[in-house]
Amino acid sequence: MNKFLKKTLIAITAISSLLTVPAFAQETVKVGMSGRYFPFTFQKNDVLQGFEVDVWNEIAKRSDYKVEFVTATFSGLFGMLEAGHIDTISNQITITEARTAKYAFSTPYVIDGVQITVRRGRDDIQSFEDLKGKKVAVNLGSNFEETLRKYDTKNEINIVTYDSGLEQDVALGRADAFIMDRVSSVQLIKKAGLPLQLAGKPFEKIENAMPFLNSAKQLKLRDQVDKALASMRADGKLTEISNKWFDTDITQ
Amino acid sequence: MQNSFDFQYVFELLPTLFRYLGVTMEMALWGFVFALILALGLALVRVFKIPVIQHLAALFISFFRGTPLLVQLFLLYYGLPQISPLFLMDAFTAAVLGLTLHFAAYMAESIRAAILGIDKSQMEACLSIGMTRLQAMKRVILPQASRVATPSLMNYFIDMIKSTSLAFTLGVAEIMAKAQMEASSSFKFFESFLAVAVIYWIIVLFFTRIQHLLEYKLNEAY
Amino acid sequence: MIKISNLSKEFGKLAVLKDINFTVEKGEIIVIIGPSGTGKSTLLRCLNYLETPTTGKIQIGNVDIDAVNHKQKEVTALRQQSSFVFQNYSLFANKTAIQNVAESLITVWKTPTSEALKIAKEILVKVGLADKLDAYPSRLSGGQQQRVGIARAMAAKGEVILFDEPTSALDPEWVDEVLAVMKQLAVERQTMIVVTHEMQFAKEVADRVIFMEDGYIVEQGTPQQIFEQPQNERTKSFVKRALKQH
Repeated sequence: MNKFLKKTLIAITAISSLLTVPAFAQETVKVGMSGRYFPFTFQKNDVLQGFEVDVWNEIAKRSDYKVEFVTATFSGLFGMLEAGHIDTISNQITITEARTAKYAFSTPYVIDGVQITVRRGRDDIQSFEDLKGKKVAVNLGSNFEETLRKYDTKNEINIVTYDSGLEQDVALGRADAFIMDRVSSVQLIKKAGLPLQLAGKPFEKIENAMPFLNSAKQLKLRDQVDKALASMRADGKLTEISNKWFDTDITQ
Repeated sequence: MQNSFDFQYVFELLPTLFRYLGVTMEMALWGFVFALILALGLALVRVFKIPVIQHLAALFISFFRGTPLLVQLFLLYYGLPQISPLFLMDAFTAAVLGLTLHFAAYMAESIRAAILGIDKSQMEACLSIGMTRLQAMKRVILPQASRVATPSLMNYFIDMIKSTSLAFTLGVAEIMAKAQMEASSSFKFFESFLAVAVIYWIIVLFFTRIQHLLEYKLNEAY
Repeated sequence: MIKISNLSKEFGKLAVLKDINFTVEKGEIIVIIGPSGTGKSTLLRCLNYLETPTTGKIQIGNVDIDAVNHKQKEVTALRQQSSFVFQNYSLFANKTAIQNVAESLITVWKTPTSEALKIAKEILVKVGLADKLDAYPSRLSGGQQQRVGIARAMAAKGEVILFDEPTSALDPEWVDEVLAVMKQLAVERQTMIVVTHEMQFAKEVADRVIFMEDGYIVEQGTPQQIFEQPQNERTKSFVKRALKQH
């Protein structure tokens, strides 16, 4: 009797939750970002904002998801994704071979290239070849370290990883150059007011997207996001957001 | 650097940071309360030499004293959920738990030392009038040991307040994380980190003052 | 009422007590004398199980305990049958005089606190410390501390009070006030076993004197027998030396 009662209760609970959940509970997507990557994701006067934030608010609007932003240091974001603390990362994550093997990426929403930046007035560094023997800064956990190592087969570049503040060290002369995508390099130079300049042309096309875990539930979410991104691209919303932050379209 | 120090920015940032001081202090206070309870248990297990458990306690203390807090936080927050989703906890919980385990290990040793520092004759006197060891501990030994241990426990509390800054690595929105985020949009790194340093300093000064008052009061008692 | 049989104690290979046997009647006052380091204190501490004997049986009141096979419960029960006065007083440093005395009543005997404090106060008045009830041990002289120590032992409701050289740590000026309290207890026929070097006290107060040397009981008898007609040569020479000093 007792057992029966228990089973009935469980069944009732299960059925009622099936019926009620879709009715009013919007599903929440937890989006991880550093909050330290201007102007993609940053905080000013305690307000989280930027390109990524706008993109996700729009995705949420179009897919009927509720979005919750989770900020953590960049190097911690993939750990949080793995651990299930967040559903995806929206922090200009570049699609790489290693990452594709492990994660399911959304369609790219930013197209860019790799850029070298040096202290203003330095013209000895113009291309990747010139980095040999130099101290080059990259963000810890970013894919630029990997990019550098791919070219630097003889281990001639002194690569230093930073959690934050690498632009500071290049401006101070503690490092010779930093490697980042072109878009954010331009922004950094403009906004930081630091004596920095782009060195040479960007190399290698890079595509940035949002990684999801390879599970049925997360893949479903990824497909929803792709759908939203496609419609944003189609009606020009994505370009509009890009122009707002960069005065140029970085999404094409 | 052509950037000159922006004094005004520090003052503008302080109110923003102060809004997150609550998170910092909440972590420190919860962490301290739980660490104190756990530390007392660990210390007693070791003082009474309870079979098997005392070795587990020693192992626990050795591990959490022998590894960096940052590593422990990462293990708890990023590592354990990969073993089982049961261990999935929010960043604040993980930070408090990490602080608890880490500082409990240190505090247990300090409490144990304080207990062992109480003259053996105090325990004998308790036993001689028919008290059990547990009664003796509660009524005579621990009250005396707590007086001895208070200064070092307070030091651990102050240390804990400062250690909460590591919680930013888990994404807890506390003052250090906020300072870092504000800095990355304003690019005023020096000002931002100076502001956060000043806040920690003020808090620590405040609790150091309380520590001195407490020690004064305790010394007055007998 | 107290029966000690075949008691021995070894610290590693060192035998400190060898085959100790004696009995004590209710109301009897026993004084144990002998050279330093002959196991007198160890014997007393064994009676309270502050040291665990290697072999032997101890019976105090209705508690019977065998060293070879004893339980923690029996040890606690045995200790509740006796109380101990320490050479260095060992008062609870975190408690006032009255709290020291009331502690056993409150914690061990579960006497309501108000009643325990009342009893403690009466005992402290009796040992002449009516004005020191709320003083912490650190504020008391050696003599006062030891009187609190005796008061604490009196309050513990034991059948017997064990005194371990209660005056040895005292400055000479405080010795008399402590001995006076002990003499008062003797008058009231409180069962006592006293280890002391105070030969005059032994002569005046003891019903029986036990002379110990090298872990053995060498000789026992009335004060008159031990101090005036000792049978054993070793007793003789010890008594001769001891009386000369005092």
